[in-house]
Amino acid sequence: MKRSVWKICSLLPLALALLTVPAGAMHIAEGYLPVPWAFGWMAVCVPFVVAGFLSIKKKVALEPRAKVLLAMCGAFAFVLSALKIPTMFGSCSHPTGVGLGTILFGPTATTVLGLIVLLFQALLLAHGGLTTLGANVFSMAIVGPFVSFGLYTLLKKAGAKPALAVFAAAALGDLATYVVTSIQLGVVYGNYLEYLSIFALTQIPLAIAEGLLTVVVFNVLEKYAKEDLRALAVL
Amino acid sequence: MGTDRCAYLSRLRRVDPVPKIWLALTALLLCVLVDSLAVGIFTLGALSALNLSLGGQKAGDLFHFLKVPMTFLIIGCLPIILRPIGTAEALWAFRLLGRWTWGVTAENLRLGLLVLCKAMGAVSAMYFLSMNTPMTDLTMALERLHVPRLFVELTELIYRFIFLLAGEAGRIRVAQEARLGYRDFKGSMQALGTLLSTVFVRSLRRGDRVFSALESRGYTGVLITLPGQYASGRWLYGLTAAIAVCQLLILAAERRLLP
Repeated sequence: MKRSVWKICSLLPLALALLTVPAGAMHIAEGYLPVPWAFGWMAVCVPFVVAGFLSIKKKVALEPRAKVLLAMCGAFAFVLSALKIPTMFGSCSHPTGVGLGTILFGPTATTVLGLIVLLFQALLLAHGGLTTLGANVFSMAIVGPFVSFGLYTLLKKAGAKPALAVFAAAALGDLATYVVTSIQLGVVYGNYLEYLSIFALTQIPLAIAEGLLTVVVFNVLEKYAKEDLRALAVL
Repeated sequence: MGTDRCAYLSRLRRVDPVPKIWLALTALLLCVLVDSLAVGIFTLGALSALNLSLGGQKAGDLFHFLKVPMTFLIIGCLPIILRPIGTAEALWAFRLLGRWTWGVTAENLRLGLLVLCKAMGAVSAMYFLSMNTPMTDLTMALERLHVPRLFVELTELIYRFIFLLAGEAGRIRVAQEARLGYRDFKGSMQALGTLLSTVFVRSLRRGDRVFSALESRGYTGVLITLPGQYASGRWLYGLTAAIAVCQLLILAAERRLLP
């Protein structure tokens, strides 16, 4: 018994490496959720999307430049999520970009941009879907960004090093997204544990990789692009 | 990128997008709503056939796109089919770590297959829309369906910028790979970090330039473009109704034949 447990423990990293599921495949696919759940999640998203939309509207009214900038940021989020990111075990997957987006543009704008990006991913790449848009927006454009933003502000207030705050916000925001996805699936079909182990546990190496990547991006931006980041202040 | 290329080559490209949206959405919603294996398979077959015959898409392209959601569906259906079953009668079972019984029951297998067929039917309905309607037509149709102007405009701008930024990221990636940028984990992280931050900074600067260019051409806050000349797509409403009727008839037949 004991030996078999050890065997399983030693196999775990290998299994993690093999099972690391491409993040593009991590959006809940079209038609996977029953209609009541699909529309239920859409309804949950409505207040967040409306709030985000109104805040964008206000900013655009004050500073027309913000519209084009926001659109650039949305396109950046799409491109980011389409890039392959290396993990420690050699397999590749896609980042969610949740942490980076939130720290740069704030959580409310990220919700609206996330909605548009997810719509494009559903229509152009068939990652996710129209009926499951609500569920995907909730996990990727609402929970993820708010977890990232909360952690980032909290850690910064607590006086943590900026790199640590960025890493934690990006890695845990990514992970929170997938935990929510597995809960959304488990709530409908039961068997939470297996969903969590397939959709969240396997994402741990990816979450770490995304955290590291976000730190690298921030270091470069801090070093070379402070001036340009000031343009973001209008958002 | 993705279904975009197919949409521009589609035979239905010049047809009014609104009827196409209704056709795809009606078939999609009915397929998801009725919870039936046969309707799922019918929707998959019917909408794929329409996609090939009316849209003139290549079967290979359609097959390639239908494979995309399969990754999610297969791993997503695994927890439905294979799960702890306690003392229920199983088709196949094993003891996990000598303590828990896991297995496949007929009931769970049926549910898993149902979800799979339903989802594939829904995906094929969505492909009918996205493989036959260019994104710009779709965003214009959104405006006709009273989606807020600012949202539509953001969508249009993002759609345009995606291709700019993706092209730029692709070129930087090739340059980095040519210089052994992605040799090991640490190098990859560094290279990808530089790539992302460069693309980001450039997109900010480009956003600024685009805005100045717009403003110097009299931009006052709204981008108005002329709608395309569409062929009327009224006949698609008849097709929509026919498909819906078929879906319901199949549902009734399935309910009667299978208790």
